[in-house]
Amino acid sequence: MSAETILHHYESKDGFWDEMSAEKTIRPQYAKVYDLLQQMDVGSLQQKEKLANELFLNQGITFTVYSDNAGIERIFPFDIIPRIITAAEWDHVERGIKQRLRTLNLFLKDVYSAQAILKDQIIPASLVASCPHFTREVYGITVPYDIYVHIAGIDIIRGDNGTFYVLEDNLRTPSGVSYMLENREVTKRIFPDMFTSNRIRLVSNYPLILHQILLSLAPAQMARPTVVLLTPGIYNSAYYEHTFLARQMGIALVEGRDLVVDKNKVYMKTTNGLEQVHVIYRRIDDDFLDPLVFRPESALGVPGIMGAYRKGNVAIVNAVGNGVADDKAIYAHVPAMIRYYLNEEPILANVPTYNLRNPDERKFVFDHLDQVVIKRTNESGGYGMVMGNKARDEELQRAKNDIHNDPRGFIAQPIIKLSTVPCFIDGKFQPRHVDLRPYALCGPDGVQIVPGGLTRVALREGSLVVNSSQGGGSKDTWVVD
Amino acid sequence: MMLSRIADSLFWLNRYMERADGLLRVVRTNYIMSLDKGSDNAPTWRQALTVFARLDETECARLEHDTPLALKTLLAETDNVNSLRVIVTKARENARGAQDHISKEVWEQLNQMYHFVNQPKLAELLSGAGALESIDRLMRQSMLFNGIAEATMPRALGWRFLNLGRYIERSLITIEMSDRQFAAIGYNLEEPREILQWKYLLLSLSGYELHLKMYRTSNASRDVLHQVLFDPSFTRSVIYALGRVDRYFTDVLAESNRVDNVSLSRYFKSLYSSVRYTDVDIIPHNGIQAFFSDVKGRILEFGKRLSQSFFSYS
Repeated sequence: MSAETILHHYESKDGFWDEMSAEKTIRPQYAKVYDLLQQMDVGSLQQKEKLANELFLNQGITFTVYSDNAGIERIFPFDIIPRIITAAEWDHVERGIKQRLRTLNLFLKDVYSAQAILKDQIIPASLVASCPHFTREVYGITVPYDIYVHIAGIDIIRGDNGTFYVLEDNLRTPSGVSYMLENREVTKRIFPDMFTSNRIRLVSNYPLILHQILLSLAPAQMARPTVVLLTPGIYNSAYYEHTFLARQMGIALVEGRDLVVDKNKVYMKTTNGLEQVHVIYRRIDDDFLDPLVFRPESALGVPGIMGAYRKGNVAIVNAVGNGVADDKAIYAHVPAMIRYYLNEEPILANVPTYNLRNPDERKFVFDHLDQVVIKRTNESGGYGMVMGNKARDEELQRAKNDIHNDPRGFIAQPIIKLSTVPCFIDGKFQPRHVDLRPYALCGPDGVQIVPGGLTRVALREGSLVVNSSQGGGSKDTWVVD
Repeated sequence: MMLSRIADSLFWLNRYMERADGLLRVVRTNYIMSLDKGSDNAPTWRQALTVFARLDETECARLEHDTPLALKTLLAETDNVNSLRVIVTKARENARGAQDHISKEVWEQLNQMYHFVNQPKLAELLSGAGALESIDRLMRQSMLFNGIAEATMPRALGWRFLNLGRYIERSLITIEMSDRQFAAIGYNLEEPREILQWKYLLLSLSGYELHLKMYRTSNASRDVLHQVLFDPSFTRSVIYALGRVDRYFTDVLAESNRVDNVSLSRYFKSLYSSVRYTDVDIIPHNGIQAFFSDVKGRILEFGKRLSQSFFSYS
């Protein structure tokens, strides 16, 4: 069957915003891709799908599933059809993220020093004090250029009328950027003709921009500061990304056991003795960073590293303690922060969020459980999430009990009808729900965002959960001029 | 200058890959020669199993005439710590830890081989008529790995540690394989033997054709001993392997200023000299076994000291 016929069978779902088709017509940004797809048959598309999977497998872009005591490596599902965003839409998203990131950096500086926003009662002090990621150990530490969030992966979604919303702010160690870059490379291999007929904005300079920012953070003015990427090691699920970024930036990939602190300076152990390290792009959570300050049993971190950080002898990226700013309960207050710090109106809207500490809002949520999603404030990756319309009664009851016991630990949001895009699944084009994670980099020269980001797609029919741990896949994402 | 952990990983990456290469050569030779059922020289799987699998006597006796089972043990078994599958998996684990120090091409080639040996139907492939085809394919993957490393790896410190691993492993495999063959004739060089009796060893070390070209005296055993130990043109001889170790080790030392460099260097030079400045005639008739075991012991000790100096990081 030719793709022309299967494309004609593509049916967007009523009540959802489909990014390719609108009332039986094709949106202009998809026109060229649609035309090219029409010229291909199902067999050749399946061939391209197979080639893409082989490219991922041979590069070791895999995760391991265990069955019968034997680990089998699987690739993260990749859908071959690119997702397309127009320049105008991107401009809006980009301005919104820049505004948000400026604000969140100001908030982090404030909350770990003067705490004006708490004193002015814009955000309840109790909300910050009760956040497990509010890190008293870094209170008063100054960081280079007052930048706390150097790398952000702010999740954006589109609602049923196409409006963009911020779903969550990931300000600690957001991952996935290597998939954004590899997805693009693979798409170039399988659809070179699409690249000649569309003007697609470049993403491949991301590692270079990041490297420039890391170099600029070295504590002293020096010609060649030593920058390293600190990984938890080869068993971490994002290990591929760590090696990818280290080699794309030409910096050393180190583990905690490669580093040692002496007299408040950090060194790495080399074949030639110790060498001082000036900037650490860490992919280890705060809790594991320094067993002397945080979790004493952590074998992933470096004893004494917080001392070196406090003294300003080493820069840590992202800064320690950022979790207070991407806590899901604090998220609800970001629009107020934007008004407070910048005196501007938020460009990108938040998803409405119910504060479950407030008895009225809690009651409302309990009365409308089938219309909300309940999230733990300190979990990510889709863990601890209850979709009210899909959950069984006992799950809902358990969630209610948990909320009663710890109202600060949860938020509720109305279930947003995520936008859909066409995916090539089982030899057919089918609509699936997506989100978008653009990667924003913040350095002394301001915020830079490579156009596009990682599109995560919920591959199961009808599912709204895009997390890779919950059966999600990804797509190449184009911003076209 | 590089992280000690990386140097360690690169060293072991290539030790395992060289072991895989050695194993595949032995298996291929063994498989082909075992088809010559009519000849007296048709080998059983005993020697390959004793070198590359830790089996007790009963197990060995059970497997030595059973080609499919022997192949499974040597190539696909996860219980055998030296099976191809385990070795390649370990090599890949080391490569993964040092991924930013090997070329993308090397990594991809190793991955291909890894996925081939870890496919669930490997044992099935090896049990049927297609066994040789699979062995050939693996052999080719292994050679591709070496060729791609040669063509794409930067000639920096990482390359030196990779090669130290490769040639230390190679010298050990040659000694191990030769020692067992000479043991089989009671280390007696005087009794005349046909070159056919040495074919298994020479083919396993890819040195049979070279032997035919270079040596054709009446005493094949003597010639073979010379070839495996002292022939500098034979890429699997002990002297060739140690010569490469000497070269890469000298390069490593040139960039290093550690205090224990001098004593480590002397240790190696003394080992190297003990092979370089001797000959088949100089080794006493009853001392061949002792010579093999002395050189092997000293190579292992050198490897240990090398790792203490350069790889200690935990």
